[in-house]
Amino acid sequence: MTKKTALILAASAAAALTMTQAAYADGITINVTTTYAGEDSNAQNFKDSVAAWEAETGNKVEDSSATSDEAFKSRIITDFEAGSEPDVLFFFNGVDSNQFVEQGKVVSVDEIRAEYPDYASNMKDDLLGASPVDGVNYSIPVNGYWEGMFVNLEVLQAAGVEVPTNETTWDEFLEACQKIKDAGYTPIAASLQEVPHYWFEYAIYNFQTPETHNTVPESADDEYGQAWTAGLNDIKALYEAGYFPENTLTATDAETFQLFTSDKAAFLIDGSWKIGGIAEAVDDLENYTIVNVPGKNDRKSTDEIGGLSMGYFITRKAWDDPDKRDAAVSFVSFMTSDDVVSKFAGVSATALKEGAHPDESEFNSLQQAAVSFTASFTGLSPAVQDNLSPAAREPIFADMASIVNGDVDAADAVAAVLEAIED
Amino acid sequence: MKKKFSIGYFVIYLFLILWALTTLFPLIWSVMNSFKDKKMIYSNSFSLPVGEAFSLENYKNIFANYNIFSAYRNSLIISGTVAFAVIFLASMAAYIMCRYHFRLKKLLSLLLYAGMMFPIYSTIIPVLRMQAKWGIVNSPHVGLNLLSVILPQIAGNLSFAIIVLEGYIRTLPIDLEESAFLEGCSMFQTYFRIVFPLCKPSIVTVGIFSFLWSYNDLFTQMFFLRTKENWAITILLNNIASKEGVNYGALFSSVTLIVIPVLVVYLILNKYIIKGMTVGAVKG
Amino acid sequence: MEARIYKNKKLIWIFLAPAFLFMFIYLYYPFVQNILNSFQHIKYMGTAGGEWNAPWYSNYLKLLSDPKMMTALKNTGVMLVATILGQVGIALLLALLVSNIGAGSGFFRTVYFIPIVISATALGLLFNLVFLYDKGMVNQFLQFIGYLDMEKNQLIDWKSKHAMFTMLLPVIWQYVGFYFVILLTGISGIPSELYEAATIDGASRAQCVRYITLPLLRNSIGTCVILAVTGALKVFDLPWTMFVNGMSNTWLTGTYMYSKVYSDVDYASAIAVVIVVLGVVLSNIVNRLFKENADYNA
Repeated sequence: MTKKTALILAASAAAALTMTQAAYADGITINVTTTYAGEDSNAQNFKDSVAAWEAETGNKVEDSSATSDEAFKSRIITDFEAGSEPDVLFFFNGVDSNQFVEQGKVVSVDEIRAEYPDYASNMKDDLLGASPVDGVNYSIPVNGYWEGMFVNLEVLQAAGVEVPTNETTWDEFLEACQKIKDAGYTPIAASLQEVPHYWFEYAIYNFQTPETHNTVPESADDEYGQAWTAGLNDIKALYEAGYFPENTLTATDAETFQLFTSDKAAFLIDGSWKIGGIAEAVDDLENYTIVNVPGKNDRKSTDEIGGLSMGYFITRKAWDDPDKRDAAVSFVSFMTSDDVVSKFAGVSATALKEGAHPDESEFNSLQQAAVSFTASFTGLSPAVQDNLSPAAREPIFADMASIVNGDVDAADAVAAVLEAIED
Repeated sequence: MKKKFSIGYFVIYLFLILWALTTLFPLIWSVMNSFKDKKMIYSNSFSLPVGEAFSLENYKNIFANYNIFSAYRNSLIISGTVAFAVIFLASMAAYIMCRYHFRLKKLLSLLLYAGMMFPIYSTIIPVLRMQAKWGIVNSPHVGLNLLSVILPQIAGNLSFAIIVLEGYIRTLPIDLEESAFLEGCSMFQTYFRIVFPLCKPSIVTVGIFSFLWSYNDLFTQMFFLRTKENWAITILLNNIASKEGVNYGALFSSVTLIVIPVLVVYLILNKYIIKGMTVGAVKG
Repeated sequence: MEARIYKNKKLIWIFLAPAFLFMFIYLYYPFVQNILNSFQHIKYMGTAGGEWNAPWYSNYLKLLSDPKMMTALKNTGVMLVATILGQVGIALLLALLVSNIGAGSGFFRTVYFIPIVISATALGLLFNLVFLYDKGMVNQFLQFIGYLDMEKNQLIDWKSKHAMFTMLLPVIWQYVGFYFVILLTGISGIPSELYEAATIDGASRAQCVRYITLPLLRNSIGTCVILAVTGALKVFDLPWTMFVNGMSNTWLTGTYMYSKVYSDVDYASAIAVVIVVLGVVLSNIVNRLFKENADYNA
C-alpha cells in the first residue's frame, strides 16, 4: 500500500463521514416507502405522481420504494420495531400488516377522518381492505389485481385447438391440453418449482365458489381442507399427464414464461400486472389474448380471482408529528384521488365510488382483451393465500415439487399448512 | 532457475492455460453479449457482436435510466473505507495474536473462527435494530446511510482478515523484530516500521478481498441503502435485474459496468502483489 | 516458544481492542441474541424476543427429525470433501505450477482471480445459462457432438438428473482462485536461500517441492482448509440463485437456513447455531492436523 493509495482511501472515508445532503428549502419532507419499483408497471406512474405532488405543495418526498419480496417485508417490519418506519407506507393490507396494526403503529381511517372528514371520501369503504386483526380500515387502496389465463393463439392454431370461451369446462380444457401436447407443444407454461401460486389458487377454487373460496380450512378433513387437497391432486394429475413443461420442477419462471412468449407453450395463468411484461417481450401482441380459467364443479369459468391487496398507511409517527401530519394526509389523498387511481389502475379493479376512468384509446390489443375479460366476471374472490403467513405457505408452495412427484401426500401438505398456522 | 522447453513444461502450460480459459470465459461472454440486443443473445449467446449484430443500445438504456455514477461513487466510498479500516484493525490484532501469549488468547482465537461462520442472515436483524436506535438508518444524510453499511461490513471482514494475516506473520522470521527491540523500539514502532511493511503482500490480498466482498455484498446494502441517492452499485444491479427481467442485454451491460471498476482496482493493486512476491518478504 | 521480546504485554489491548470491539458489537452480540432466539418462540421477524419454548431445546429436537435438515447435512458433507479436495487441491497444484514457471506467471496470477471479482448474482445468471435445459451451452454442445439426439431434440435436465454436480461445479470453480492467491503468497514467503541450498545439494525440483515447499506451506494450507470448511458450511448465494428452495434435494445447511429466515425465525436461528458449532469443531480439528508439528518457526 503506497502513501498515495492510503491518502485516497482516507480522503474517501472522510468524505463519507462529513458528506451531508443540503437542507431542503421550505416545505416538509416526508419519508415514503412503496412497492412501486423495479418491474412494477406503475413504477413510472408513481415517480410522475410524486413529482406532481411535490410541485403542487412545495413539499418533498424521500422515496425508499423497493421491489416487494420477503427481504423487503422483513425490513419494513423490523423498521417498525426499531422506530425507523417511514411516514407513509404502501403495503399489503393482509396478514403481512398484522404486526404493526396490532401494535398501534398505523392510524385508522376513522381516526384520520375525525380531523380530515374528506379523507378517502371517494372510496367505497367496504372495499378499502380491512385489517385481519380487528376488521378496521387502516389503508387506502389504489389499483387492484385479477388473475386470468393468457393464451398464445399461434400455438392453439398450430395444434388445431379452439380458444377457450366463458363456457369451456375443465374436461374440455384437459382435452385441449392433450391435443396441444400431441402436436408437440407444451400446453401450460408454469414453473411449479418457483411460481405454483396461480395454479394452486384456481385448482382449489374449482372445488369452491366465490363465496367460500377465501376461507382457510380449520382442519384437513373439513369442507375447505378437502377442497384444497382435491385441488392439489388436480395439479398433480396435470403434472403426471405431462401438461407442464418437462423441466417444470427445475425451471425458473422466466424460463417457462419464455416458452409462452416464443410460441412453444399455449396457456399461462398469471396476474393483471403481466400484461406489461408480455407486451414488452413479444412483437406480435395480437397473437395473445386473455380468457377465463376453465372451471369445474360449482365454480363457473367466469368466477375469477382478484381484489385489492395493498394500500396507503399513515404511520402513528407521522400522525403525531405536527409538521408532518398535514403533508402525509395530503400525499395519500393526492395518490388516491380519482385521477391518479385511474391512471394506476389501467384495466384492474379499484375501490373508487365513481369507478376508474382510464384512457382506453391508448390501450394495446391485450389490454382491450382484458377489458372484455373483466366485464365477463360473474364472481370475484381474493386470493386465499394472502391469508397465510410465510411459514404456512411453505408446505404447499416451496414444496409443490414433492407433492406432484408423489413424495408428499396432498392431504399431509394441507395438514402441515394448518399446523404452521397454529404455531 | 533455468528455462528450457520440454514435454513437462508443455503439459504445465497446457493445464494452466486451460484453467485460465475457464476463468476468463464468463467475463468475455458477458462483455460480448452486452453489445448485442436481447433477441441476438437468445438465438446465439456465443456469436461475436460484429457488424449488424453490434449495438450500443443496452448501454444507452442503462445510462439514460439509472444514475450509475452516483452508485459508483457510493460504492467507492463504502468499499474503500471498509478495505482501509480492515487492513489496519486486522493487521494490528493479527500481530498481537501471532506474537504474544496472553490470557484469553485461546478464547479470542476461538471467537475469530466462530466469527467467520456467523451467517449474515442471523445477525442482520439485531444490527438493524441497533443502528436504527443510533439514528444512522433511514437518515436524510447520505454519509450516515453509507456509514450504516460500512460499519457492519468492517466487522464482517475482520475475522477472515485477522486469520490470514496471522498466518502470514507467522511465516516471517522474528529476527528483525528482535533487533528492533534491541535498538529500543516500542511495540508500536516495531509494528509500524517492521511488521506492517513486511506484511505487504498479505495486506494487499486482505485489502482486495475486503473491498470485493463489500462491493459485491448485496444483502447489507439491501437493508441499509433505501433511496436512490444512497444506492451503491450492487443494489443498483439488483434493481436493474428486477426491472429488466428477461432483458438479458441490459443485464449483461450492467454486469459489465459493475465488474469493470473492480477489475481495474484489482489490476492496479495486483502490481503490488507481484512486487511483494518477487522481492520476497525477508529481503523487503 | 514464546519470544523474549514479547514479554511486555501491558499495551497489547490497544492493538486488540478496536478489532474485537467491532466484532463484539456487530457479530457476537447479535449472535448471542440469535442463540437466545433459537430457544424461543418468535411470532414475528424483527421482534426482540418471545416466549421460551417448552422444552427450551424443542427447536433442536425438531432439527433431528427434519428430513430436509438431514439432506442438508449430507449434501454439506459432500460439499466439504469436494471443496477441500477440489478447491484447495486444484489451487495448490496451480500455485505450485505457477511458482515453477517463468514466462506468463504474472498473467496466470491475474487471471485466476477473476471469478471472485464477479458477484454471485452475475455468476448465477451465467451458470443458469450454461446448464439451461433448452439451448443451454452444455446441452447444445452434447447435441453437437452427437451424444444427444439432435433430431428428437433430446435434452438433459441438469438441475434434476445431476443436481449435485451442477451445483458443486460453479461453487468449486469460483473459489479456486481465492485459495490460489493465499497459497502463492505463502510460497513467495519461503526464503529462496532454502531452494538454492537444496539445489546445490543436488535436490531435484520435485524434491524441493516435497521437502521444502509443502512442509513450509503447512500453515497456509491449514488456513485454506479452514476457510474452505467454514465457507462450505455457510455457502449460500450461488447455490441459491441456481437451486432455489433446495430444488431436486440440493439443500445445504446455508440455503436451508436462509429458506427459514423469513418464515420461521427461531428455527432458522437454531440452524445457524448448528452451522457455527459444526464450523468451530471442524476448524479446530483442521487446526490440530495442520499446526501440530509447526516447529520450524520456533
